[in-house]
Amino acid sequence: MLDPHPDLTSGVIHGLGYLYALLFCMNAYWAVRSFKLGYHFRLPKSLGGQDVPSAGPWAMYAVLLLLVALAHFVSAGRPDAFLIRLPGWLQDLVNVFADPISYFALSTVLFVAMIWLREWWVKPTAAWVLLNITLVSMGLAITDYDFRQIVGKPDNVPIVGMLFIVAFFTWIYFKRANDNDKRIAEGRPLFEQENNEKVLVWPDLVYAELICMVLITVVLVAWGIVLEAPLEEAANAAKTPNPSKAPWYFLGLQEMLVYYDPWLAGVVFPSVILVGLMAIPYIDFNKRGSGYYSFNERKFAVITFLFGFLPLWVAMIILGTFLRGPNWNFFGIFEYWDTHKLAVLDNVNLSDLFWTSMLGQALPGNMFLRELPGILLVLGYFAILPGLMAATVFRKFFHRMGFIRFVVFSNLVLLMVALPLKMVLRWTFNLKYIVAIPEYFFNI
Amino acid sequence: MAKNKTTAEILAEARAQDGGGRSAPSAADAAPESEVAPAAEVPAESEPTEKPAAAPAAKPSAGKPKSTSDILARLRAEKGGSKPAAPEKKAAGKSPAPKKAATATSPAATGEKQSPLEMLKAMREAKQAEAAEPKEVAETPSGPKKPVRGNPAAKRKSAAKAEVPRRGFLVACLMAPLVLVSSPFAAAWTFFSTATAAFSLAMARFMMPNVLIEPPSRFKVGSPSDYPGGTVSTKWKAEFGVWIVNTEYEGKSLIYALFSICTHLGCTPNWLEGEQKFKCPCHGSGFYIDGVNFEGPAPRPLERTAIRIAPDGMLEVDKSQKFQQELGQWEDSKSFIELA
Repeated sequence: MLDPHPDLTSGVIHGLGYLYALLFCMNAYWAVRSFKLGYHFRLPKSLGGQDVPSAGPWAMYAVLLLLVALAHFVSAGRPDAFLIRLPGWLQDLVNVFADPISYFALSTVLFVAMIWLREWWVKPTAAWVLLNITLVSMGLAITDYDFRQIVGKPDNVPIVGMLFIVAFFTWIYFKRANDNDKRIAEGRPLFEQENNEKVLVWPDLVYAELICMVLITVVLVAWGIVLEAPLEEAANAAKTPNPSKAPWYFLGLQEMLVYYDPWLAGVVFPSVILVGLMAIPYIDFNKRGSGYYSFNERKFAVITFLFGFLPLWVAMIILGTFLRGPNWNFFGIFEYWDTHKLAVLDNVNLSDLFWTSMLGQALPGNMFLRELPGILLVLGYFAILPGLMAATVFRKFFHRMGFIRFVVFSNLVLLMVALPLKMVLRWTFNLKYIVAIPEYFFNI
Repeated sequence: MAKNKTTAEILAEARAQDGGGRSAPSAADAAPESEVAPAAEVPAESEPTEKPAAAPAAKPSAGKPKSTSDILARLRAEKGGSKPAAPEKKAAGKSPAPKKAATATSPAATGEKQSPLEMLKAMREAKQAEAAEPKEVAETPSGPKKPVRGNPAAKRKSAAKAEVPRRGFLVACLMAPLVLVSSPFAAAWTFFSTATAAFSLAMARFMMPNVLIEPPSRFKVGSPSDYPGGTVSTKWKAEFGVWIVNTEYEGKSLIYALFSICTHLGCTPNWLEGEQKFKCPCHGSGFYIDGVNFEGPAPRPLERTAIRIAPDGMLEVDKSQKFQQELGQWEDSKSFIELA
């Protein structure tokens, strides 16, 4: 009772009860659906080996959820004695991976797995299992005070929603793309051709839009009433909140700013992202896959775009929202936001690494000589690599695109890769800037 | 038939219904078609010549224009009517045209529908024909005079000059500004540029306010003894945005003032007493007590202000001057006070 940061309060337990009740309803529906569709699975030999309707396990799971929900409602009055909470060892385990390196590695692994296992996870049952795992672990995690502080902040609620929405739309894409890929492989007509349900703008589309408009308005009004706007005191130029976070949609940029100089991460990269996205139709020479979903027809385009969007943008937003705490240090999701957390981040420039550590000399006085290794490296990156790419992995691309288009394309790709590259360099070599000319505010 | 109607079919249906409401359906079905075809064919010959012939013929049969080419044809016909001189001249050289038009009429009369592609083609050709027209008008001596747009003042000027040179010049000078409003186009631009210029001037004035409410850039921060060795004073941060630091720097015991502005992106770092460092909350840049950057993305050390001991023995900070380490300005004796 005296704990100022209680993991569980009766309010939280009550709310979680509703979450599990909702989960029960969802899974009860799923069991009914499974029964109606007549899904079956075969038991392993040791258990008899006969066919069992899938609705059975789902119904059992749903009943379990109902019991859990009831337990929450019944014992909401005694939060200290409540037992359904996240085990401590699991929290510690998660916090062990709480550093940017593991986070980025993990999100990349997830990205690869998403594409690799696309046949599996677009199945409705697989997706349903994943959704259940996500919701149940979220329900468990909410029993932790620190997690609740971050996720439940009115600022961050839309980000939680965004996670599910991004996952849902990615799922839709892969589901329909897989379907069409199969159709193409079997020589059947595309889904879009077979189910060509043309509808009229008026009234079909306009009515749907009207309904959406009304619903969204209702949601926004309800949201505005239920969740209080996270307003703070009047701005003070001499006092920056700690941590200072950009609006959620700019957190990817803010994360970029940790690794790059403001003129690059704040001006050049955003412009390149915008112009590059506009340039895609002019760079793309692949005429297939236009007007219908498909993955196999345009693997490179889809993977490149999704890599830029999911690990490099959405994952960075999540990182900035949930995992960056005071002093912009990295915190695990179950970690207390300690302003005095000590993170050793001593960074050195490439010139220091090259002249002092490798050659054992003092830094040259002339700044251009001093930064020569970095300048050569950057020039080489943008001058030599496109040629190498054209000669090796992208040989076909080069022939189809022609010189100018290929140069634009390769530079866009190189600029996109420059972000994770610099992140890895920062983590492995504590590298601050490759070219550091602070005298002229020019750092790369 | 119920599904996937082409635009042409839908148009034809609409036309049929429309015609039915006005006259006998059989006549309506044939008439619009015959009036469409010649119009479509005529511009192909790039011959405005026979428009007056074709279009008036079509006119009476039409209750109202039925397609783009109809409208175009009618417009052209009306235009042709207002220039009676032009067709006469041109009609001489061109005889095969009417024949063509006649042959083109027959398939249309049998009920062939016009596709959107054909309509587009007709329209494009009609445009070309129109583009060619003005030239011919200019050649025709008896053609109606083109209305002269804009610059009536200029015209008057030249006329006046010819008659009474000296007074005309004065009048012309007086009238010259009228050019600016001589046409709606010129007037619009004139007013627009005037308004923009006035707005820009107002903005420029806004940059120089009569009263500037901000702390003075030169202020006193107490005596040096208020700042013991090895400390950072955050006392003046909120009001003036500076820290007063008393520490060892390059073997010397100094007092200096640092701007509380991060050299990365301009946030306000915090002094962390326990860690003995300045730490920026925005992107995690860290600076030692002497202001030198060592962690995070900040590319250069914090900046110093000018500082001196005023005649009354107090420390005086002057924020209007800044001293950057990477430019070697920290050597400047104005940027610190050396303690004995």
